[in-house]
Amino acid sequence: MESTGRIIEIEELVKVFRPRSGMPVTALDGLSLSVRQGEIFGLLGRNGAGKTTLLRILTTLSAPTSGAVRVLGHDVQREGLQIRRNMCVVLQENAVELYLSVIDNLTTYARFHAIPRADIPVRAERVLRQFGLEEHRNQKVIDLSGGLKRRVQVAKVFMVDKPVVFLDEATTGMDPINKRATLEAIREQARAGRTIFLTTHILEEAEELCDTIAIIDRGRCIALGDLPTIKSLIPNAFDITITFVSLTDEILGEFQTLPLLKISHKGNTLEACIRSTDLGLFETLSQLTRRYPVRHFEVRSATLEDVFIELLGGKPGTGPAGDLT
Amino acid sequence: MNMILAVMYREYRIRKTSLTWLFYDLFMPLTYLLLFGIGLDRAFATGITVAGQVVNYNAFFLSGVLAMACFGIAINTSYGFFVDRDNGIFYEFLTYPMTRAQFLIGKILFNCLLSLVQTLLTIVLGVLLLSIPLAWNRILFVLLGVLLGTAGWFFFLATFALRIRRNDMFNTFINVAYFILMFASSLFYPVGQLPGWLRILAYLNPMTWHTDALRYATIGVGTFDVVVLEALGFSCFFLCSFAAAVRTLRRGILR
Repeated sequence: MESTGRIIEIEELVKVFRPRSGMPVTALDGLSLSVRQGEIFGLLGRNGAGKTTLLRILTTLSAPTSGAVRVLGHDVQREGLQIRRNMCVVLQENAVELYLSVIDNLTTYARFHAIPRADIPVRAERVLRQFGLEEHRNQKVIDLSGGLKRRVQVAKVFMVDKPVVFLDEATTGMDPINKRATLEAIREQARAGRTIFLTTHILEEAEELCDTIAIIDRGRCIALGDLPTIKSLIPNAFDITITFVSLTDEILGEFQTLPLLKISHKGNTLEACIRSTDLGLFETLSQLTRRYPVRHFEVRSATLEDVFIELLGGKPGTGPAGDLT
Repeated sequence: MNMILAVMYREYRIRKTSLTWLFYDLFMPLTYLLLFGIGLDRAFATGITVAGQVVNYNAFFLSGVLAMACFGIAINTSYGFFVDRDNGIFYEFLTYPMTRAQFLIGKILFNCLLSLVQTLLTIVLGVLLLSIPLAWNRILFVLLGVLLGTAGWFFFLATFALRIRRNDMFNTFINVAYFILMFASSLFYPVGQLPGWLRILAYLNPMTWHTDALRYATIGVGTFDVVVLEALGFSCFFLCSFAAAVRTLRRGILR
């Protein structure tokens, strides 16, 4: 399988949770996808879509109910150890040694991943610098803020060089500067030929980072491809931003009657997503901007968020797995 | 082997962060022997009869203290699963490049080393302070018994710690188990003098098998054939507990 360049292969994956009381819950329902070597693969979906369940299966923490899952050609159920030897993971839950110092967290992690002892201090210094943790090196993790704890957890995976890196909402809780540093570190890993499989709720992050994106809903893949492919699922969609001299209820009322994909406003600025094939809609917009004084008018191609909302019906919802995922 | 050493190293780093904890672990059994043992030694001034031999209570109780210390370390180590779960690190461990068995073995090996140091301190100071007539020629058997005891009880308790999700439930389980295992055994008194129903319970109790084997190894008291049978019984208990703990860790974490 590695010869075909596919590092992760998932075929018809089903995962059913059978709680002691209540009905069985299908978290993954015939999911199929593959991830190529050196790719940054983003898995998106709303809460309960099955993202974390899939990540747990890929990282050998949970067993599939049916279907085939292979990482680097190894079956997740039969060859878990071989997979674990070739991967590192940032789980959604905070996972740090609270009673150890930052440096000890990095050191013990490296030892678990068989990094030669002589290399560990050099790597630790690099990672401390990379994640801005130098001044906290000797502090016990229990004394750090939530964001710093998360940073320590993420920093650990950069102590080791494994072909596959799994990241479950890795940047959650980080400030923008450290988030940027983390994204850059992830890119570096991919440039070095490593395969990154990540889940995130931050769509801008996925848009910026991922080579391939899969959107899953109710345990099924509803969109898969690179960013242009995903965006093409809503053909000719555009985001418009209009800043009025004064955004009145009357203007808002008129916009709300239009068939827009989404609409929001803040102050005198109104943001909406439209489809350019709708010529009547363009004409109406043109009339509105002539009737009401406009300071700024901008049209951009639709964002991943627009596609995401459109594909998932724009309604807040709970997936079939509820809190399980 | 590297993975087992890595788990041991991690246990060592954590233990090293609290010297009070370490001190308590090392000297607790001796303190028990000095306070509780001396009191009962006076109460049983004529000594205690075991398998036709009369010994003083301190000598009798030494193996009880050692067995209790093994159980205590096993409780602390198995409770570590809850601490790891609360810290979120538990599931991350299971993604590390090691087998479930290596994880369990590494976790208990460091604590077994702690048990050995604890045993040697208790024995040496017990002999010096309380004049316990120790059978020094069997000291290796004592240490082997302590190793098997600590690991066996850890694997037994780990099976429950991994299955029970709530630590208040686990605490209740431990309290009940501790109470029954301690008092329905030969730990504090000779089984032969117990009433019939309690004697049966005690003979079925792995704590009795462990304590009797340690008693034979420390002061040479007991019937050899019975002790061999009990040692075999405890070895079976050890193997079954290990298999159950590994199976639980493999299958029962996230179904």
